Amino acid sequence: MELTGSEILWKSLKAEGVKDIFGIPGGAIIHAYDRLYSESEIRHILVRHEQAAAHAADGYARVSGRPGVCITTSGPGATNLVTGILNAYMDSSPVVAISGQVSTSLLGMDAFQEADMLSIMLPITKHNFIVQRVQDLPKIVRLAFLISTSGRPGPVHIDLPRDIQSAKAEVEIPAKVELNKYIRLDPKPYEILQAVNLIVKSERPIIMAGGGVILSGASAELVELAELIGAPVVTTLLGKGSIPEDHPLSLGMLGMHGRMAANLAVSECDLLLAVGTRFSDRSTGDVRYFAPKARIIHIDIDPVELGKIVKPELTIRGDAKRVLRALIDALSSRWQRGRTEEWGKRIQQMKRELAPRMDYDNIPLKPQRVIKEIGEVLGSDGIVVTEVGQCEMWAAHFYCVRKPRHFVASGGLGTMGFGFPASMGAKVAKPDHVVVNIAGDGSFLMNSQELATCVVNNIAVVNCIFNNRYLGMVKQWQDLFFGKRRSHTYLGESPDFVKLAEAYGAWGDRIERPGEIKEKLKLAIESGKPAVLDIIIDPDEHVLPMVPAGGRLDQMLT
Amino acid sequence: MKTRIFSILCENVPGVMMRVSRCFTRRQINLDSVTVGIEPSGLARIILSFQADDHTTEHLRKVLERLIPIVNVEIIDPEKAAVREIALLKSRRLDDREVMEFVQKVEEKGGRILEVRDGIVIAELSGEHSKVEEAVKELSPYLKEVARSGQVYLSKE
Repeated sequence: MELTGSEILWKSLKAEGVKDIFGIPGGAIIHAYDRLYSESEIRHILVRHEQAAAHAADGYARVSGRPGVCITTSGPGATNLVTGILNAYMDSSPVVAISGQVSTSLLGMDAFQEADMLSIMLPITKHNFIVQRVQDLPKIVRLAFLISTSGRPGPVHIDLPRDIQSAKAEVEIPAKVELNKYIRLDPKPYEILQAVNLIVKSERPIIMAGGGVILSGASAELVELAELIGAPVVTTLLGKGSIPEDHPLSLGMLGMHGRMAANLAVSECDLLLAVGTRFSDRSTGDVRYFAPKARIIHIDIDPVELGKIVKPELTIRGDAKRVLRALIDALSSRWQRGRTEEWGKRIQQMKRELAPRMDYDNIPLKPQRVIKEIGEVLGSDGIVVTEVGQCEMWAAHFYCVRKPRHFVASGGLGTMGFGFPASMGAKVAKPDHVVVNIAGDGSFLMNSQELATCVVNNIAVVNCIFNNRYLGMVKQWQDLFFGKRRSHTYLGESPDFVKLAEAYGAWGDRIERPGEIKEKLKLAIESGKPAVLDIIIDPDEHVLPMVPAGGRLDQMLT
Repeated sequence: MKTRIFSILCENVPGVMMRVSRCFTRRQINLDSVTVGIEPSGLARIILSFQADDHTTEHLRKVLERLIPIVNVEIIDPEKAAVREIALLKSRRLDDREVMEFVQKVEEKGGRILEVRDGIVIAELSGEHSKVEEAVKELSPYLKEVARSGQVYLSKE
């Protein structure tokens, strides 16, 4: 059948199972949008800034496990995607971004709204395409989804010139393509043997779980292995939720703002089994003092990560779920029960003695108390998304995540303005779950225009703004390391977030006292509306404990 | 730090050079030499030389192999490879005596004369980098312009 490029695009997206898409139309993508006008199977969410489209697609992907899709026009529409796409790249999130481009005959002529997106997207995507012939489009879309989701996931960008959208070709959808990369998923048997030989000799093993565990759906295997060998589990920021954090073997997050018990256990362990993590500097602190007594086994699907930061005793390339399953099978006959009993006692003692305090009654509110009560309202099914900065680290440190894909934060890039649009994407993917954005006032204002999107499209995200009128994390560094010189981190007494919410037609409320948190959060959730809760917190509160940048995990500021 | 050579087999598509070169740029590594040729299969072979330590070299190999258009990356040991570099030479306008001298010198160095017209000589030299380097230096009083290839390596193993 002969189809136009626009028809091919939507047919191909439907063949990939795409149900929701975030975007903004414009001149260079107008043919594609014209075709979308008569599409009933795809829900298009008209956002208010293209950056939000990319973050929404990212949030959608992280909670659902299905690729998130965004679409924009050329030039500024496409360049506005950049931060969101890089954010998805740093955190291995499968996002497919499509943007219009000027007609092929105008490429390189500085045409209106032309940007060299092939060059701009090249270093921040797993792969990117420009469509030069309409007949290639089915193959490119198929490849984009395949590349985005295979192996270590990541974003893929398709640049789609205007004339290609209206050109016609005889094509087959879905196209048949082959990808020769990212296909090695199973570990080599001798690698499993070597790993088991190391594990059975250890007395103080620990498992460090990263985002890869969640991406591969390996949570059950992670818990099974931890229980089998009595190994406590520490997670990275992106690994939060890979093990239920109320599990006796869960020590919570490690690293710069990790739990003290997690950081100390890593410093004491004799074997560290790292799964699906890239040893970010935020997780390791000074690498020379990271897990100094441990032999390290590093499991990752991306060979680039193996040996990049730490020098492991053994590396295993493979999918986390398959590697963990192979380890469990091999260990079940060889593991001596009781071997880690002493270690288990030590771990429980550390957990007891170093448990973080959350039961403050102060006014202005302590963020720890707010996080605790949000957790009590959300239970195990609520999804928490965070902005970036102190709000994020309070959530990461104190919030107890019980299921994978129920905690979403911007890790590698640390993108302020990520949380709100990402939670919008999360809510679109999981409409039956309560979605709360734990935000700072600084971050929230970077994409607060999306309140309009949420109101118009009835996306009931609840924004809990931890309002201290500061760019709090920078202020914290200034307080701790720059002689309390708060250079340009005070934001002033504006805006009134309740009125801001009301101006958009959203639910707005203010919380100032400990007793009000649960009640007002429940009201906001029950309103069924997008909501903004302006929570006035102590402006002098720091995120503690903390390992200063480049410091040692066992030397935390408290 | 020592000289490293990558022989990269990749799809012959626009942008592939940029995908490869930015991996080096990002790490502030200068490419000493770049050559590209098309294989009989239609794939392109890019040969790069650069300075780096063992850890960075291995990391870069893996980073490059992750790229979609790249088929594989071979690390070539310069000790176990055939190495050649080509220089094309154009003389300034020479008088008859100088033409005789220049032709003689080029041929002594194993070069070939491609053309002589109106006192301007075009010649070709090839060999190992140091040999070409030395010859070009010695012939420089006669020269107006030199075009040199990067180094081409072929593993003997």
